[in-house]
Amino acid sequence: MSPIAIEADSPPQSRTFMRRFAGAPLPWIMPVIVVIGIFYLYPVIDVFRLSFTNATLIGENQQYTFGSITNALSSPQLPDILWATLIFVGGSVIGQQILGLAVAVTVIRGEKRGLFGTTILRTTALVAWVVPGIAGGIIWQMLFSEAPYGALNSILRLMHMPTVAWLSDPAMAPWSTLISNIWRGTAFSMVVMYAALKSIDPSLYEAAEVDGATASQQFFFVTLPQLRAAILVNMILITIQTVNTFDAIITLTGGGPGRATEVISLYVFNIVFRNYDLSGGSVLSVLMLIISLGLAFVYASFLPKEEEQ
Amino acid sequence: MSGRTGTRLGDALSYLFMLVMFVFFAGPLTYLLSMALRDKREVYRGAARYIPDNPTIQNFITVLNNSYFPIYLWNGLKLAALSGLGVLIVALPAAYAFSRFQFRGKGLSMMSLLLFQMISPLVIMVPLYRYMNRLGLLDTHFAVVMVYIALGVPLATWLLKSTVDGIPRSLDEAAMIDGCNRFSVFWRIILPLSAPGIASVFIITVIAGWSQFLVPFLLLTKNDLMPIGVGIFNFRGMQTDSSIQLLAAACLISVVPAIVAFLSLQRLILGAMTSGAVKG
Repeated sequence: MSPIAIEADSPPQSRTFMRRFAGAPLPWIMPVIVVIGIFYLYPVIDVFRLSFTNATLIGENQQYTFGSITNALSSPQLPDILWATLIFVGGSVIGQQILGLAVAVTVIRGEKRGLFGTTILRTTALVAWVVPGIAGGIIWQMLFSEAPYGALNSILRLMHMPTVAWLSDPAMAPWSTLISNIWRGTAFSMVVMYAALKSIDPSLYEAAEVDGATASQQFFFVTLPQLRAAILVNMILITIQTVNTFDAIITLTGGGPGRATEVISLYVFNIVFRNYDLSGGSVLSVLMLIISLGLAFVYASFLPKEEEQ
Repeated sequence: MSGRTGTRLGDALSYLFMLVMFVFFAGPLTYLLSMALRDKREVYRGAARYIPDNPTIQNFITVLNNSYFPIYLWNGLKLAALSGLGVLIVALPAAYAFSRFQFRGKGLSMMSLLLFQMISPLVIMVPLYRYMNRLGLLDTHFAVVMVYIALGVPLATWLLKSTVDGIPRSLDEAAMIDGCNRFSVFWRIILPLSAPGIASVFIITVIAGWSQFLVPFLLLTKNDLMPIGVGIFNFRGMQTDSSIQLLAAACLISVVPAIVAFLSLQRLILGAMTSGAVKG
């Protein structure tokens, strides 16, 4: 590069301006800054502000008060909601992580051994992932339904076994929503685990083999330690995704029976858009935000390591 | 010898696990198809008639003849495609800048993009609903597309940055020596060479838009503006146990376009996602 040569045949004034303008990063990033500012930053600030008011969705008059915060946080329903959220999120994260890893390991082994059907399995898992949340809820309702067309109960009847109240028993319904969410989300973990497994140095396995390690020893002492970072990042990503999920639950159980499957995102949705309680919903939105950002900061603390490489 | 039987056993276990997983992932979708192909009487026979005796496409015809369903499909496609386009227009220049410029606060701004990605749409919808209402933008597709774009931009910028990172800098430098300015480098070199990345980001955004429920559900009230996600939610509310086969057909119609779009570009999409994830 010879900048002097370019400067020598000095272009007209306007082109110099263009070059200066285009040479600065700000104009290029401006669209993103504007979009994020209008649609993320302002709304988030507004949510904080609204949680200190008594605003409703319909009335225009609002006063600043701490009442909404104390009301929302002392609501007798909140512990149940948080418990349902914990079961749903914790179960999804554990289930999707374990199943995603198992499928990825099997697919990689299958590819190595040339087993039939690895591509089919991978593709089917990915297809479930692309299904829209609302449709996913409808599909699983047809499987769990206690009406005659419900797939699982009619299979149980065919085998002369007692049927299960998948969606109407408050003790069973959380497990049913969990299964449907694991169905939709496992493919994401599978993709992340697959990429991470592929990047493990094969010489580690060769060394382990020379030392006489069995397959399970190789898995626990080579594979798992190598995957540690990927597993952590993946767990945090699916936690945040699951905390924010509610469309699949709306069509599957609607939060019921009772409040057995009403997770925090569905609760916020109902409070704001069914009860028109804007301030109460804002308080809980802030709570959701704190949970997500807390996890995001843990995630961020894992990234600088990659920059050092 | 024992090594070989061990491998054989491993293969058998792999096949068994793959079969169980295949049934788990494919089963629900095939049952949806089975329900969608049944007539009223066979619906009540449950899993006993997994393959219906009298398969019929009448349900699909009924659903598509519903006066609103084709409108829902068109709206869904329109909103998803426009948001895909919008995301590219906003994210591409930024991806170029993040890849090629060195400036203060770059790491921080990339990181905050990622943080915004983690905020639930539900959190921002509360105030957005209010100011769309005040601006008179409720019940417009413009408002919905703008919010879709905002939701898609953070991830798109990250993925596109890693695509641009993959284009050798020497190409930029050669073009600049030949007298190109930054705009023409971006236009003539970066854009054509990032085509695969651009295509996969477009498809990812379109599929996300197609699956959206919350944003159109809140910002739209008129039935003829609704996209498929909300349409199917409302359609479900109108069905009873005796018309479950119609709901199945409608559901299948809403699922298939996303699946086809994804499958046809599967390699591209997964490539962009994993390279984005690996390079961070």
